[in-house]
Amino acid sequence: MALLPCGIHYETYEGDMAYIHTRAQWVCFILFLLVLMFLPYILSVRFIAMVNMAAMICIAVVGLQITTGYAGLINLGQSAFMGMGAFVCGSLAVNFNLPFWITIPAGGLGGAILGAIFGIPALRIKGFYLAMTTIAAQVIFPLIIMHMPDNWFGGAIGLSIEPAHLAGITFDSDTSLYYLIIITAVIMIFFAFNLVRGRTGRAFVAIRDNDIAAEIMGVNLFFYKTLAFAIGAMYAGVAGGLWAYYLRFVGADQFTLYFSVWYMGMLIVGGLGSILGAIMGVIFIRFLLELITYLAPVLVEYFPGVGGGIWFAGMNILLGGTIIIFLIYEPRGLYHRWRIGKTAFRIWPFPHM
Amino acid sequence: MEWEYFFIDLAQYTLEGVLKGLLYAVVAIAFIVVYRSGRILNLAQGEILVFMAYVIWTFFSLTVFPFWIALLLSFGAAVLLGLIIERFIFRPLIGQPIWAIIMVSIGLMILIQGIVQVGWGGIERPFPQIFPEAPVRIGELIFTSSIFWGGIIALAIVAGLTFVFNRTRWGLKLTAVAEEHQVAQAMGISVKKSIAVAWIIGCALSTFAAIVFLNGQTLTFAAAVIGLHALPVVLLAGLESISGAVVAGIIVGVGESWAAAYLDPYTEGAMSQAFPYVLMLIVLLFRPQGLFGWKIIERV
Repeated sequence: MALLPCGIHYETYEGDMAYIHTRAQWVCFILFLLVLMFLPYILSVRFIAMVNMAAMICIAVVGLQITTGYAGLINLGQSAFMGMGAFVCGSLAVNFNLPFWITIPAGGLGGAILGAIFGIPALRIKGFYLAMTTIAAQVIFPLIIMHMPDNWFGGAIGLSIEPAHLAGITFDSDTSLYYLIIITAVIMIFFAFNLVRGRTGRAFVAIRDNDIAAEIMGVNLFFYKTLAFAIGAMYAGVAGGLWAYYLRFVGADQFTLYFSVWYMGMLIVGGLGSILGAIMGVIFIRFLLELITYLAPVLVEYFPGVGGGIWFAGMNILLGGTIIIFLIYEPRGLYHRWRIGKTAFRIWPFPHM
Repeated sequence: MEWEYFFIDLAQYTLEGVLKGLLYAVVAIAFIVVYRSGRILNLAQGEILVFMAYVIWTFFSLTVFPFWIALLLSFGAAVLLGLIIERFIFRPLIGQPIWAIIMVSIGLMILIQGIVQVGWGGIERPFPQIFPEAPVRIGELIFTSSIFWGGIIALAIVAGLTFVFNRTRWGLKLTAVAEEHQVAQAMGISVKKSIAVAWIIGCALSTFAAIVFLNGQTLTFAAAVIGLHALPVVLLAGLESISGAVVAGIIVGVGESWAAAYLDPYTEGAMSQAFPYVLMLIVLLFRPQGLFGWKIIERV
């Protein structure tokens, strides 16, 4: 438990478990939500596009946080689960003309089912072996998609999707899609925050810390391990559904192992074992990426001898280097630093707890 | 008559599969040796292979070095790479949980990818012809020379490494480190040294695998996929068994080749690509330690 502000104490567990303790925190929280709602009026379209991208990835990485950070099951197939969501969502939208408020949850369900299937081996294996089954999911997924009948998932070509509609609004611009994405993201993150402090979340943490001990204490390993995969993959599936409506095109090559690795990198940078950490990691890595995208043309101008591709290839060096440096120097991620900073602020001017 | 043709085809497919399997085995052995001497899971195997392939290309394309010197320099570079990776990435992580090792190898994977793109521009390069171009003929059978000689050298390496790891004091020290870092350290074995040795052998084997795999072909970064293809072989063999990798490699190679011949016509080429991974999933479900791996009993 984080340190509470001065003078705040509780006599119930419910009070202790609350995320928001004081009136000032409520005010800040509501202000934050209001700013989120009015962001398109403050920022330019370019920035909104960045926020959209980050918010969609955020949903997938929060899901990964539940599977990997809370339940301790290494998952390198998040991108495939996201793809499953995108294809299920796209297929329902194209073939049956269903509205987005059915297809996106259906995408989530599709992701969850695929995740549960590849999560079943988790009962018997862990660590590296489990990472391998999820890599297998990542390799097998595009093969399945491409070899289903063409009218199901678009085969090798992919699916083109009409923009989403709701009550006369067409979600075809970055600004309108912003509301669709950000509201979904807020709902999913709200759900995640509450999931991890409930019975299910505690079972996940028990499994992460020691699964044999957890089983002895009465946690049903098979159920909870499969559930951890299913929930994590459901988040990926919902993110995939949004992705389908955002890009309005779904192809199997958008969901490769490479992206799964990126999501894992974001998780490590943010810190395993906290929802806020996942969000921080996404924002940090996306910010670095946008910075490179922005700086690369400028750098090309100053160093014309060096090809433009090199600056973009630098992204890989940056991400790989960031993952390695964080693992060596701060394996608990940005969230841990944030908490240290917050505690230091609260107990100031005393140096120790 | 028909059956005769069937058997000739079958023999042909099987032979192709065996040779391909040996190739997988070479990459898998590099992976297993790194694990067996330092408990390090190296998902960046394919990327290291490609990196070394570009280094080899550089030494050979400089043309100032004679053939053998260039080859020797390449292996020297492999040793250096192994030492650098150990010193700067894996030494600080001694004693960390296994997921940290997996994650850092993923970070390494992306880092090397970036370095290759920046260093060599990710452009196609002709890989030098190190094994002779002319195929090897034994009676009626024809083999690609790189795979034939590569296979023979690989078998020799496997025999040598199996002996070293199971029979010599030095190999047993490495094995102890693979089992448990802390216990090994407590017994007076230098974990640092073991991990350095693991990486040196691993990088040298990757260099060898690059030569066998890419001999006389076009080199692009896409070749790193071989690292992923070798994973089913590693898991089928079990993470700890060096000689098992050859058996597992041949099983996967032959299975893939049969799937390509008999199942692909019905599945538009999907089956041969999916086969190694489906096999891997089945192995993981029913025998997680693989065919020859150690069965580890867990205690709370």
